[in-house]
Amino acid sequence: MLAVVTLGPAAYLLVTSLTPLTPVNPDTAFDFSDPLGNYRQIIATDEFWDSVWVQIELSVVTVVTQVLVGLGLALLLDRPSRFLEALRTGFLVPMVLPPIVVAIIWKIIYTPDISPLHQLLAWLGLPIHSLITDARTAIWAIAAADTWEWFPFTMLMLLAALQMVPKEPQEAARIDGANATQLFWHVRLPYIRPTLVVAALFRLIDSIKAFPLIYVLTDGGPGGATEVTNYYAFQQTFNFSYWGYGSAVATLMVAGVFILSLVVNRMGGEAIDD
Amino acid sequence: MIRRRGIAEGFGVLILGVVLLPALWLLQMSFRHNDDIMSASWRFVPTLENYTSLWNGQFPGSFVHSLLASGFSTAFSLLLGVPAAYALARAQFRGARQIGLWILATRMAPPIAFTIPFFLAFTWAGLMDTVTGLALIYVTFNLALVIWSMRGFFAAVPRSLEEAAWIDGCGVWSAFLRIALPLAAPGLAATGILCFILSWNDFFFALILTRTRAMTAPVAIVNFMQYAGWEWGKIAAAGVLVMLPVLVFTFLVRAYLVSGLMAGGVKE
Repeated sequence: MLAVVTLGPAAYLLVTSLTPLTPVNPDTAFDFSDPLGNYRQIIATDEFWDSVWVQIELSVVTVVTQVLVGLGLALLLDRPSRFLEALRTGFLVPMVLPPIVVAIIWKIIYTPDISPLHQLLAWLGLPIHSLITDARTAIWAIAAADTWEWFPFTMLMLLAALQMVPKEPQEAARIDGANATQLFWHVRLPYIRPTLVVAALFRLIDSIKAFPLIYVLTDGGPGGATEVTNYYAFQQTFNFSYWGYGSAVATLMVAGVFILSLVVNRMGGEAIDD
Repeated sequence: MIRRRGIAEGFGVLILGVVLLPALWLLQMSFRHNDDIMSASWRFVPTLENYTSLWNGQFPGSFVHSLLASGFSTAFSLLLGVPAAYALARAQFRGARQIGLWILATRMAPPIAFTIPFFLAFTWAGLMDTVTGLALIYVTFNLALVIWSMRGFFAAVPRSLEEAAWIDGCGVWSAFLRIALPLAAPGLAATGILCFILSWNDFFFALILTRTRAMTAPVAIVNFMQYAGWEWGKIAAAGVLVMLPVLVFTFLVRAYLVSGLMAGGVKE
């Protein structure tokens, strides 16, 4: 039964991706005359490749910043302290907020009329243009919002990992004269590396699904500057009614995500075995 | 050492303050008069008019849709998933890793991949724009989570307790209901809450699979943005109402939340 719930839609998706289905013409649902037509068209479409490129850009930027910010703060806050432990709950807030609320919060921050950020910068004598209506900065604005939402995830995971690092090797290294930097690179980092990798891969896969932020902040624009593959598939399917074509894009995404999931599953196993 | 701990604590408070600032900004905006929102002044007379105007509009209805869809899907996922998890925890089952992978796959798969088939199937079955349809689609991803996490909780319940119950004449089913389930109750509560949060937070499925009759609160907010001429006070107030239940629940299951979000990624 479990398999039906998941595999049913997947099979249906695959079948649809082989047809030129569009709701305007119901007959197209069973038109298998050119099964690979959608895929051929995808490969020939610049907009698709642009979306893949935007996706890679956004994913790399957000994963790297989330891991670095998360690691930095985790190292800072990794002290034996009741108070800091209580504080951690507060850091859960951005990542559990409904994504649509996160999107509203950042829409407010990026809308010059009502934005505290714009007001502050104007007051400092550094007025800036709207970041989300400029094709050069829009993707960075989205990356910043996404980082705010998800750095707590990497941070909390790494904090948990840091606290599992046994004390003895750290003591031994300190007695041997290692300084804080050496201690980090040679003792603590090797211990937390599996967690670091798993956290990064989780964020990487989730970044492919980013939707509400883009929907509310930029709607894929300006001029496709923030149109990631997920958004491209959404637009093609639900705005332009190219169901078959959209399904084919979604199928490719599933294939990509599945490969990444295999990697995570393997690494997750290693994280425990080590 | 003591001094450095003090510094870390100070930094911790400072960073948390900066992190929470955007959310707090939304909160104060929701209490501002609509004419006050554009003004740069920090001082304002708080008003509840944004909330009252929400109360008098369509919003309470969509809030109820959200509650129903999330509640039903949570209940149904627990009903199906908990016995399955128990069976998996007790049977010597070799496919555990495959299950982990399957759960990971449902969590990882881009929602768009589910939406297209479900949209077509729902149109055909008349489930479009219904709370039932929405609850059903939430079950597909909640079920995986329930099975994965409850299996861990049941595995932590000592087997010998149930064996004692069997000897005393309990059947498998009643040993499950009287022994294992009460012992795993905290885990059950945490799992249920996590399911509820994940359904409640959904925007994508609700956006595509509902129109007016089953519109959920997150979709209603976005509609304010498009049709209501940018009533920021109202948008902020709606945002606050949507995030409130999540924050309360998060506080209740804070210890469990991060591992829950990692479901399937790490073997327990």
